[in-house]
Amino acid sequence: MTETFEEMLEELRRIVRRLEDGETSLEESIAIYERGALLVKQCEDLLGTAEMKLTELGRDR
Amino acid sequence: MMLGGHSTDPEQFGTPIHAVSEVSGLICDLLDDVRLHQIWVRGEVTNYRDHTSGHRYFSLSERDGRTSALLNCVMWRTYTSALAFEPKDGMDVLAWGSVEVYEPHGRYQFIVREMLPAGLGERHLMVEHWKQELDAEGLFAPERRRPLPLFPQRIGVVTSPTGAAVKDILSVISRRYPAEVVLSPTAVQGDGAHIEIAEAIRRIDGLVDVIIVGRGGGSFEDLFPFNHPDVVRAIAACRTPVISAVGHEVDTALCDFAADLRAPTPSAAAERAVPERREVLRELAGFEERMQALLRSRLAASQNEVEDLRGRMHPRRLARRINERMQRLAEHEELLRRAALARVQRERSALAEARANLEGKNPLAILDRGYCIVEAGGRIARSVGDLGPGDHVVLKMKDGRAKAVVEETSYDRDV
Repeated sequence: MTETFEEMLEELRRIVRRLEDGETSLEESIAIYERGALLVKQCEDLLGTAEMKLTELGRDR
Repeated sequence: MMLGGHSTDPEQFGTPIHAVSEVSGLICDLLDDVRLHQIWVRGEVTNYRDHTSGHRYFSLSERDGRTSALLNCVMWRTYTSALAFEPKDGMDVLAWGSVEVYEPHGRYQFIVREMLPAGLGERHLMVEHWKQELDAEGLFAPERRRPLPLFPQRIGVVTSPTGAAVKDILSVISRRYPAEVVLSPTAVQGDGAHIEIAEAIRRIDGLVDVIIVGRGGGSFEDLFPFNHPDVVRAIAACRTPVISAVGHEVDTALCDFAADLRAPTPSAAAERAVPERREVLRELAGFEERMQALLRSRLAASQNEVEDLRGRMHPRRLARRINERMQRLAEHEELLRRAALARVQRERSALAEARANLEGKNPLAILDRGYCIVEAGGRIARSVGDLGPGDHVVLKMKDGRAKAVVEETSYDRDV
């Protein structure tokens, strides 16, 4: 359940690595940059909009 | 034994005489027994004196009907600082120490290192016992500890819904990171609290990404349920990683050893449970900047490449190449023209030859040389047999014809 944010962050790291290595074609670079920018936005949204919620479990089983 | 003089007669009335130090030494030897060393003694405090030197002198006594027993005790200043309570006469206590002889005074006394009120002392002993038992079960093995999730979405909190701990945790988490806090409420002290705590842990296990089990500071008695094997085992059995945060800084409880992480306070536990939002945002911004910079440099490199290619395709260069091609084309054209001409020449001479040949075979050519062709009845006469006397013939000459009549025919020889 927590994997989404971590996965997004992991994908971002991969994108940066691919941008760094010269093997990636220009078209691909642009495409993965766009994907990366979207991921950054999504991560920020996730951190920005969500507020802390409090739930209390019932004691009855 | 007061005998006149201090002569050290080897014998008196047939019994050997000992020096005081000898007897004292013997007593020392006798009391140097493992059964009197590093032991717990339970008794009632009497004659308690808080000496100006800081050392404590008292007795431990026991009265059982008519019989009574008493043990003189001393607790040196260096150990008194660890006393968790102020001993008073009449208190039922547990004292830890060893029996030793003080030869100059001819006294044996119990040298106390540690002292606890009896009820509390028993609980301490119980915790020691549990600790060994649970450790032997392997529940405290460091390799059992799992890493905490970096970005938990739901944080479970097992504590009192009215205590300070839950308030501290909520305030830390709301400040740091947008996560859902799920409270699994329980009593944290009092009789049977350990059962409730263990239940609350089991109830929330698997519903959240990380669990904080704890409570705020309190006395040893207050924290006692967190030592209970029920609670320790419930933590050890959790599928979800657990942070233990019992009491304050120096306090430890057995559940600390079974948890994946021990935090000194509930607030500290909350800090360990979630990352700092601003730091994560900063990291994200860093990613974005880096990606942009990388893409920009990639684009710049491509731009340079295009520029370079464009330079290499400059018009003058291109014109030169075209000229070269035109030149070569012209050369080829000339070669082709010459070849064609030569061919025509050849054909022409072949034709002249053929004509000459043909002309040599012209039947009329012979007339030039003085011959004539005789035609009789429209046909060429090749033999005198074709002719007879009186036949009208036509003589075809080079430049005309003549009519003649055959007078006679004869063969040059018999045929």
